[in-house]
Amino acid sequence: MATLLAACGSSDSSEQVGVTRQVTVYTGRHYGIEPVFDEFTAATGITVRFTTGSDPELRERLAAEGDNSPADIIMTADAANIALAAAAGLLSPVDSDVLRSAIPGELRAADGTWYSLSRRLRVIMSSKDRVTQPPTTYEAVGDPRWKGRLCLRPSTHPYTQSLVAGLINDLGAESARRIVDAWVANEPLYINSDTDILKAIVAGECDVALANHYYLGRLLTEDPTFPVTLTWPDQNGFGAHLNVSAAAVTAASANRAEAIELLEWLATDGQKTFSDANNEFPANPTVKPADVIAAFGSFLADTGSVRELGRLNAAAVDLLAAAGYE
Amino acid sequence: MSGATGLRSPGIVLGWTTILVVVAVFASPVAVLAWSLLDPTTDVWRQLWSTRLPGMIVDTVVLLVAVVVGAVLLGTSLAWLVSAHDFVGRRVVSWLLVTPLAIPGYVGGFVWLDTLSNVLGARGVRSLWLCAVVLVLSLYPYVYLFARAAFADQGAGTMAAARSLGSGPLGVFLRVALPAARPAIAAGAALVSMEVLTDIGTVRLFNVSTLADGVMRVWFDTGNRGAATELASALTGAAILLVAAERLLRRGARRARGSAETPLAPRPLSTFGSVAALTTSLVVLAIAVAIPLARLIDWTIEAAGSGRTLTVAGGIGHHAGSTLALASVAALICITIGTLLALVVTHRGRLARPIGRLSTVGYAMPGPVVAVGVVVTLAAVDRRSWLPNGFLLVGSAAGLVFALVTRFFAVSYQGVEASLDRLTPSTRESARVLGAGPLRTALRVEIPAARYGLLAAAALLSVDMIKELPITLLLRPFGVDTLSVWVWQATSESLWAQAAVPSLVMVGVGMLAVGALLAAIERGAEFVS
Repeated sequence: MATLLAACGSSDSSEQVGVTRQVTVYTGRHYGIEPVFDEFTAATGITVRFTTGSDPELRERLAAEGDNSPADIIMTADAANIALAAAAGLLSPVDSDVLRSAIPGELRAADGTWYSLSRRLRVIMSSKDRVTQPPTTYEAVGDPRWKGRLCLRPSTHPYTQSLVAGLINDLGAESARRIVDAWVANEPLYINSDTDILKAIVAGECDVALANHYYLGRLLTEDPTFPVTLTWPDQNGFGAHLNVSAAAVTAASANRAEAIELLEWLATDGQKTFSDANNEFPANPTVKPADVIAAFGSFLADTGSVRELGRLNAAAVDLLAAAGYE
Repeated sequence: MSGATGLRSPGIVLGWTTILVVVAVFASPVAVLAWSLLDPTTDVWRQLWSTRLPGMIVDTVVLLVAVVVGAVLLGTSLAWLVSAHDFVGRRVVSWLLVTPLAIPGYVGGFVWLDTLSNVLGARGVRSLWLCAVVLVLSLYPYVYLFARAAFADQGAGTMAAARSLGSGPLGVFLRVALPAARPAIAAGAALVSMEVLTDIGTVRLFNVSTLADGVMRVWFDTGNRGAATELASALTGAAILLVAAERLLRRGARRARGSAETPLAPRPLSTFGSVAALTTSLVVLAIAVAIPLARLIDWTIEAAGSGRTLTVAGGIGHHAGSTLALASVAALICITIGTLLALVVTHRGRLARPIGRLSTVGYAMPGPVVAVGVVVTLAAVDRRSWLPNGFLLVGSAAGLVFALVTRFFAVSYQGVEASLDRLTPSTRESARVLGAGPLRTALRVEIPAARYGLLAAAALLSVDMIKELPITLLLRPFGVDTLSVWVWQATSESLWAQAAVPSLVMVGVGMLAVGALLAAIERGAEFVS
């Protein structure tokens, strides 16, 4: 009961002198986020309240709350959802030299509505034991020799949607459709968890899969002999599909100054902790990635598509539905 | 209504005002959504129809039929087994068979998904049929409870007569007991259908694309709340049709309650029969309860060993506290308003019933849809700044409780109504003739008579609230992280070991509620009309 009563008296406060400075975050990325916020509080004295949920759920919650939203910052695990939130007028542009110099232009909205904080690559994973020549392009994943041997994530997940949006951006809708059709023709096993996808490879359920790089990083940290190989896709073409963890200040924010301070800290002093917590590549090029993922080697990433993922999300969802992708 | 007093017309006004206010409050989140139907998003529908919609309809219908048939077969035969036969351990088994209610489908789902993927493989395990089995195991107790109550009501005389006319045990069951229990079984089946139609957690685990899952897909994948709402309204329509069908099926089949006949006496089984009956019950219990519990305990020990029993929001105490506080406050409000409405409705006659039932429409809607309706409704209130001190309902604990009450109001209302229906009109009349006013009659006669019904409804509500996931997930205010939220966060990362800790506590708390339910039933609670 005490919890409930405490929660009743929420929403806006502060702004007065002597009151604790606070910032409220809706975060779609919840893996290892707490130590990051603790570090920020220790560095600045600003406390962070946060609630988690899936990216689209948080976006819709923000939309439903409108001007009354208690959120100062929305943080997503995907570029499309934050761009869609921006398009819906839920975000407020931030004009900050710190952010502009820390985050490369291709990884932030042109009008400053959102900023990437870390980079994640959707790559080809294959069995170390059974696959000697893994596919090297997204298209080759649709090769009939992987029929019945392919694991993919369902189309309900933003990672799948953004991957296809990236293909549409780079190759056009027709070629993207051909590739997705070929994947579907391979009768993939759909598993709604990248960790389980990698475990399915080890269990012999599939030989080849698409998954985000850091899941392998996480499993390798637990077991350095984990028998899955990472292949950077389309290295002679547009590069590996790049998605980002991104953050933005909401239009409804009542603690804008604190919110911007958190964004700036995350893009600079907090970059290392934020990125390493999930084995992602920092968005700030001056910060080094964690050793376990640095060991994956250098790669070409499809940086150019990041800002288009939101715009092409609807087309990707339609394409996936039309192709019969589960 | 013979004893009309001078206060009659103010009473009528007050009664109808109560009915209309309660209905308006609880039906508004649904009405807000139905409003969107006036402006249909035709292009989305065309796209859906040419792609996923036919498959969703097929999956929904097949899953619904499979689960309802499975739950009816399992629930009814187990109920007959413990009602008509006596064997070693019968009493304990007949209680234990209700306990799967405490294990949410999504928890049983991830346990069996992981357990069986070692045998069937990751591909084989993700099937509609396995999903149906998991749902049957967690939902059959509804049918079991109702069927058991119906069998217990049947007099021994009728069956003895059937036996003397040459019917064997099977004949007695099929020709006498089953037809008489049909309405109760139908009521249980209706509850099971609602749960299947609104389930999201379990179907997603097994890659089954039902319409409820489709609502989530359309809403979150395309950001098109309008189209999602339309799909949800269609789903709600289907659910309401099912309920109507169940009511029709029940019509004219009045239960022979309170007759002076000797109640059905369980027939002692032979040693072999006894062992077979006990084994059957224990196998069901092992699959539905013992194995999931054992795996959860195993994972919990593993999690404790590696120190991963904490979540971002804190320890188990915080989560259990949030769950208990939410469930008890929401259940209390449900029961209070449900009792008030049911009392008023029984006094306001024929027309009041169907109108009163409008307040229960939330039960036929998937949780996330209720959540959207609530957010849209509360946001409209917030915009007008009606509340003092700039208090905002959206994102508050009050908003979350309101959503939970809207979703589960049916459980309390129907439970109370069923209990009040057992009061003969003459009891009420006598109280009035003896000079008791409506309030006094309610406090002295009606509520005491319905007390075990209220307890049963409260227990059933608690089970529902503790398991509830989507509404809590979408509307919870800061600092309120329930056990179900923790389970969701861990399972969405496939961290089964971490999901086991809160699951286990959730099942434990649920078991307490199931215990209260059983205690109420033992004392004659009637909880479905």
